[in-house]
Amino acid sequence: MARVRPDSRSDRIQVLVAEQAARRGARAGVVDVCAAAVAALPVGGAGLSAMSRTAASHPLCSTDDISAQLEELQLTLGEGPCVDAFVRGSAVLTPDLLTSELQEHWAVFADAALEAGARAVFALPLQMGAIIPGVLDLYADVPTVLDAEQLADALAFADLATLLLLDTRIVETGTTGGGTAPERGFEDLGAYRAEIDQASGILTVQLGVGIEEAFVRLRAHAYVQGLRLADVAADVVAHRLRLSPDAGPDRTDEET
Amino acid sequence: MNQQLLAKTFVELADNLVADFDLIDFLRLLTDRCVGMLGAGAAGVLLADRDGKLRVMAASDEQVRLLELFQLQNDEGPCLECFRTGAPVIVPDLTREVDRWPRFVTAAHRSGFGAVQALPMRLRDEVVGALNLFRATPGPFDPAATLIAQALADVATISLLQQRTTHRSSVLNEQLQTALNSRVLIEQAKGKLAERQNIDMEQAFTALRGYARSHNRRLVDVARAFINGSEPLAGLGT
Repeated sequence: MARVRPDSRSDRIQVLVAEQAARRGARAGVVDVCAAAVAALPVGGAGLSAMSRTAASHPLCSTDDISAQLEELQLTLGEGPCVDAFVRGSAVLTPDLLTSELQEHWAVFADAALEAGARAVFALPLQMGAIIPGVLDLYADVPTVLDAEQLADALAFADLATLLLLDTRIVETGTTGGGTAPERGFEDLGAYRAEIDQASGILTVQLGVGIEEAFVRLRAHAYVQGLRLADVAADVVAHRLRLSPDAGPDRTDEET
Repeated sequence: MNQQLLAKTFVELADNLVADFDLIDFLRLLTDRCVGMLGAGAAGVLLADRDGKLRVMAASDEQVRLLELFQLQNDEGPCLECFRTGAPVIVPDLTREVDRWPRFVTAAHRSGFGAVQALPMRLRDEVVGALNLFRATPGPFDPAATLIAQALADVATISLLQQRTTHRSSVLNEQLQTALNSRVLIEQAKGKLAERQNIDMEQAFTALRGYARSHNRRLVDVARAFINGSEPLAGLGT
């Protein structure tokens, strides 16, 4: 039986996450990313925390008790791979917590995590430039090294979780007005669109908000108007479209 | 050719082997010097992401960035061919290649380019991307300049790949992921600065890079601090 083989890693990861969501009978969310990551990678559990520089960080989901403990521990202690991944903006891969330098680096967390039953811990920032809304944590109960393929998969799970997490913010802000839900997944980034990121930067000034909020507003606008994100971004960059903090969007080409 | 500038460029590129590595700044230096030194009208760098898909990582100007994107979207052109085969693709006269790359030749012509050469960024068997030089007028490329361009591409590749060995437990995948993310970060910062100072994206990039250089900091760190507003950056309007 021939099965369609998705040709890119991100497509394949999206399918895995969608399958988990279907099993739950719900829209895909970060909880499905955790479940799919555990099924696909040599890890015992996964957890995901929302992170912020300005507000309190908090755990969002976990696949088992150990994962839940690891999330709580790091946010309580303010140390651990998850915290480092957030601060540094890069993946923190710890194949074995029982190494002396790590015990020194995370004086309290290392022992507590071992106590909880974790031996290897991998923290992957959910990241889009300066936007880091959270961190995906994976653990294994034996010393574990992720090979290049597994690491690439883990990074792809984190990428998908980034968008899913930001999507929930769109729904929370009610910007979609109960209309069509955001489409899933990435637009084809094979041709990476610098305009999307430039437009997010522009909107931080126009709206007087942080970069994460700016990106969420950009996406929300695209959804509400039924436009492609790349097209809306191009309009913002070309000054054909301005968003204002209170009122709706102004199309500058209609004003003149 | 300006021998002094050439020597300086190699030193600058090699500096990255020891100093704090800033990939975006580094690749931009590479494209800018190909233009300033080797008589190219424009230059671009494509690197492969973890799916093996090429992405535009640096371009000396907006025209060439769009043309590189065009190649990726249409899946045809000399840069893609160079990446796939790992061999240089040299096209002194694009009008002769209409059959080979119909859409690309049209787009290149519209952008004002008549000749192109694509040089592989490779180390032994591993091809990580391509350096592309564009020129307005058709005609043969100076073989000496081509050799130098390939040497620059080689130094860049070595510099890129050696990042793998200097960072514990990281692989090229992750390096490129970090590089792509740096690119996103810098675009976000460009947008913010351009809007704030009412300048274009190119001027915004020049200002950010100028600030990073004069303060001896990495471009990505400056971009992050600027976006987050986490510290005052005199001259960038914070």
